Amino acid sequence: MTGNANGDRGQNWEAQLRKGCLEMAILASLWQSRLYGLEILRALSEKSQLEVAEGTLYPILSRLKAEGLLDSEWVEAEAGHPRKYYWLTKPGQRRIREMAGAWSEFAGRLTVLVQPIVGGKER
Amino acid sequence: MTSRPINLRMEDYLSRLESALRGVTPEYKDDILREIRAHITDSAEHSTDPCGAVERVLRLLGTPEELASRYRTECQLQRASRSFSPWLILRTCWQWAKLGIKGTLAFFIAVIGYSLAVAFTGSVFMKPFMPSKVGMWIGPEGFNIGVPAHPEQMHELLGKYFVPVIAVAAFLTAIGTTQLLRWMMRKRAPGLAIPPGKSTPLNSVQNHQPMKVSG
Repeated sequence: MTGNANGDRGQNWEAQLRKGCLEMAILASLWQSRLYGLEILRALSEKSQLEVAEGTLYPILSRLKAEGLLDSEWVEAEAGHPRKYYWLTKPGQRRIREMAGAWSEFAGRLTVLVQPIVGGKER
Repeated sequence: MTSRPINLRMEDYLSRLESALRGVTPEYKDDILREIRAHITDSAEHSTDPCGAVERVLRLLGTPEELASRYRTECQLQRASRSFSPWLILRTCWQWAKLGIKGTLAFFIAVIGYSLAVAFTGSVFMKPFMPSKVGMWIGPEGFNIGVPAHPEQMHELLGKYFVPVIAVAAFLTAIGTTQLLRWMMRKRAPGLAIPPGKSTPLNSVQNHQPMKVSG
C-alpha cells in the first residue's frame, strides 16, 4: 500500500517535471530551424524521449505565439496541403537562451548531488 | 489522400471542436481548425495504417471539448484583452502576475482600481441610509470619500450632488481600470490584439491563402 502510494507520487513528480520543462523543450526544438507541429513532436520524442500529446502541444504553441516568443506562417507543402511553420522571434531566442543557461546550471548542480546515488555508492 | 471513413471521423471531430471553441474570434478559430486538420491529415499520410493513425491522433488530441478548453486557458490573456468583464480581467491578471513584473503591476492596478470602484459604489448606496455620515469630506483628517471617523470636525463638499458625482466617478474608475488593463494586455500580445468590431486578422492568418516560401 505505502509502496504503491510512493510509486504514484514518484511518477507524479516525474510527470510534473516533464510538464514544467515542456515550454523550454518546445522553444529549444525550434532553435535550429523552423518546424511545423508534427515535426516539433517528433523532434521532442527523438531527441529527448519527451512524448508530448498533440492536445498539449498546440495550445502551448498558440500561447507562446501570443506571448511574442514564436511567430508562424502557413506554407504550402509538397504534401498538397498547407502546414503551419513556427520559428523563434528575437525575444523567443533571448528567452530560450536564458532558460537553457539556467537549466544547465541547475541540472549541473543537482547532478553533482545525486551522483553518489546514481553511481551506486553505499550510504 | 485519406479515405472516406477517415474524412468523416476527422470532419466530425473538427465540427465538434468548432462548436466547443466558443468565445474565440472567427479568425483565430479558423486558424486552430486549419492547423488541427493539417495535423490529422499529416499523421494519416505518414502512416501505413491511416485509420489507426487517425484514431491515435484523435485520442492524443483529447476530446474536442478538452482541446478547446486547453486553448482557452492558454489564451486567456488574449481573451481578457478584449473583454469588459472585470472578473475575467482580474482573474487573468492574477495568472499573469505569476509570470513577471508587468503582470504583478497589472494585478495591483486591477485590485486598486476595482476596489476603488466598489468602494465608490458602496458609498453611493450608503448615502441615503446615513446622509449625515457619508460624503466627500475635507478637514483636519485630510480628504475622505465615505465615512470619516469624526464627521463633525470635517466639511462636506458635495452635498446633494454626492450621489450623482460619486456614481459617475465609480463608473469612470471601473471603465478606466478596464481600459488600461486591456491596453496593457494587448501591448503584451501584439499579434493577438484585435480591437472589438474590427476584424483585423491575426499575424498567422494575415496570409490566409496558402503561400509558398522560397528557400
